[in-house]
Amino acid sequence: MSRVLLSLGLVVTSIFVAPTAQAETPAEILAMIKAEASATAGFQGFSAARGETFFHAKHGGEWSCSSCHTDNPMNEGKHAKTEKLIKPLAPAANAERFTEVKKVEKWFKRNCNDVLDRECTAQEKGDVLSYLMAAGTKHVEAPSAAPVAAQAAVVAPAAAVVHKAATAKKKATS
Amino acid sequence: MSQKILVWDAPTRVFHWVQALCFLGAYLTSDSEKTRDIHVALGYILFGLIVFRLLWGFIGTRYAKFSSFVYGPSKIISYLVALFKDKAEHYVGHNPVGSVAIWLLLSGGLTLGVTGVMLLQDDVADIVEDIHGYATNAMLAVIAVHLLGVFMSSFLHKENLVRAMITGFKPGEASLGIKCAYNWLAAVMLLIVVGFGVYYLK
Repeated sequence: MSRVLLSLGLVVTSIFVAPTAQAETPAEILAMIKAEASATAGFQGFSAARGETFFHAKHGGEWSCSSCHTDNPMNEGKHAKTEKLIKPLAPAANAERFTEVKKVEKWFKRNCNDVLDRECTAQEKGDVLSYLMAAGTKHVEAPSAAPVAAQAAVVAPAAAVVHKAATAKKKATS
Repeated sequence: MSQKILVWDAPTRVFHWVQALCFLGAYLTSDSEKTRDIHVALGYILFGLIVFRLLWGFIGTRYAKFSSFVYGPSKIISYLVALFKDKAEHYVGHNPVGSVAIWLLLSGGLTLGVTGVMLLQDDVADIVEDIHGYATNAMLAVIAVHLLGVFMSSFLHKENLVRAMITGFKPGEASLGIKCAYNWLAAVMLLIVVGFGVYYLK
């Protein structure tokens, strides 16, 4: 009898624990958005600069993202209607941000509708998330016009040089 | 034969219809941050009305009193069985199955109010919002059953239960009616509700 109860307890507990065990990182969520955006013809990658412009714009409506989250996502925000305090949106200021897919989907859906009267495209979400991930860090971004492939072509040889130097150094010291 | 007797007092009726409207309005304004202030105002009114109803359930008129519609499981089941056999006994006040709906709706509304107020605070765990959502869905399910039950009972007993909840009157024996409608209290309730709405949304 007690074994049955124990098993039942484990099953019930796991039902509650399982969803929470699936935490993501902002980078993983950005990758998911990128996968979605790549399906659109002409996709050339995300841009934090474009995301910043998007974040501050009113898009023809009453609100911008800044209306509640302020101009600087490192800051605490305030609800434009209820004045409730909103914790910072930038992952650098708030480690909980962009760690749960369901939560990200819910709030993008709701708030894009609030600001733009429509859903945000994957391009827009990726740009905004890139901006938010860059906020509060020393990240310097490459020009937004550069295609992703060109950037990779620059990075790869450099990485190869670094790797070669590292292995040479290792051989020398062993 | 039976005549029209007063069954539902005015505060109970005002409570019923205003909280139904508040629930509907709050539901429709739940998805947007732009209507968050309206949602909160309606939520506060709903919460206040439920607190009133909980008090009125102890000091109110005969059929509003909780003691008049507390039924044991066997009574509830036998009424449900009889209902589907078209043989349900006629109750002047809430019938056993209807009363279950009321308990569930009052608990659900209370849960919504408490979690709602918690959600207005600056530091709230995500689970509070989840509970707020679950309670809403549970209420919707019970409301659907409640509406079905009202129409089934109305049809079965050939009485207009919706109209009875507006006017307060139902056919019945004179001795079973309540004496006072407490119209003045209903008027006070409406004043407070409207006053609060205007004050909050200014």
